[in-house]
Amino acid sequence: MWESEVDGKKLTFHLAGINNQNFIMRDDETGTWWQQVSGEAIHGPLKGRKLTPVYNDELTFALWKRENRQGRILKPDERVKQNYEAADWEEQYAKFRVVTPVDPNDKLSPRTLIAGLVVNGRAAAYPLTALEKQRLILDSIGAGAGVTPLFIVLGDDKKSVRAFERTVDGRTLEFFVKAGDAPVQLIDAETATTWDFTGKAVSGPLAGKQLKKIMALKDYWFDWKIYHPNTKVYTLGEKSPQSKT
Amino acid sequence: MNTTSNKTGKSGSWLLWLSLLLIVAATVAMVAIPVFVIMPFKAQTAAGVEWSYRLRSWSPVATVVATVLFLALCAKLWHGARWLGRLTMPALLAPLLAVTWFARQNHFEWMFNPLPNADYMRAGEATSVADGDMVMAVELNGEAVAYPVRQMAYHHVINDVVGGKPITATY
Repeated sequence: MWESEVDGKKLTFHLAGINNQNFIMRDDETGTWWQQVSGEAIHGPLKGRKLTPVYNDELTFALWKRENRQGRILKPDERVKQNYEAADWEEQYAKFRVVTPVDPNDKLSPRTLIAGLVVNGRAAAYPLTALEKQRLILDSIGAGAGVTPLFIVLGDDKKSVRAFERTVDGRTLEFFVKAGDAPVQLIDAETATTWDFTGKAVSGPLAGKQLKKIMALKDYWFDWKIYHPNTKVYTLGEKSPQSKT
Repeated sequence: MNTTSNKTGKSGSWLLWLSLLLIVAATVAMVAIPVFVIMPFKAQTAAGVEWSYRLRSWSPVATVVATVLFLALCAKLWHGARWLGRLTMPALLAPLLAVTWFARQNHFEWMFNPLPNADYMRAGEATSVADGDMVMAVELNGEAVAYPVRQMAYHHVINDVVGGKPITATY
């Protein structure tokens, strides 16, 4: 999701082509071609410019509705309704072949679903299977003074993913999922504050604080990797050496 | 004397006929190449995409220029042409007109209709969306909007204004 304005000019985007299974859009105003996944202008008058990303979540409808009673949601277009993806579209897509080159030494298979993050230009990918097992993954991106401690967490619907920085007022916290709760609740080990899935402290010493959100993009590994070739891949149980393969 | 002038006339008209053919072939290629290069389920190279962009940008004007040139040549040839030649002209004009029209179309939006005037409903009224369906959700300046992924995977691009800010949702 992107801001539509570049240099104060509002652009209107259209689907205009495909580049290695990621689509190209064209704006009516300048005719520039933009790569959807990176928001970068690849050809045309605005070549080299980047659209500003807009934070967005990928949630189940039920979870979104719970958080946004007053929200508005896109209505299906009756004329093309039959062309919308089937309810099991994710399973169907998983069977499509991948046309970009496959690296035989890759830890993940091309169609592995991952949640990808980028923090200060560094990318990390978390396979959804690992998230399903762990619910919450504590991690850090970067090193030294540029380190960003973060965590990524799965909602009680087992499908919605959110990621947050876990530094509050200069203090790095360790988060855990409170067992058995729906909506999901989180607790930090240092202050025992309770946090909700939007990253807001709902009760305890830090009540009222809001964790900084990090955009998590669900994507196929092969697609993510084209645009983020230096991604750090999280492997389940990587902290215990015996489980390494 | 008569034979000589006939000969020059003939070779001159052959050159014009060749030009007609080249105009049609080049124009059709110009419009067709990007269609084949930026096709789904194929790997694209950076150069392929760059040339597709160039050809797509030039073709709306170039096709019109080619058609005008083609018609001018036809007018020149018409008088001296025999019935076979006169039949060939419209036969060549047809693909030229077809690509001139196509150069003004966005065939990706034939496959995936855009939603220039998208309609919305309140979260509580949305019976067409299942609880487990994924949505792309955004919140800006207190306004929350969701775009169901099943719909987005078809439309791919939605231009919207959320919380007063123009945004583009893409999937």
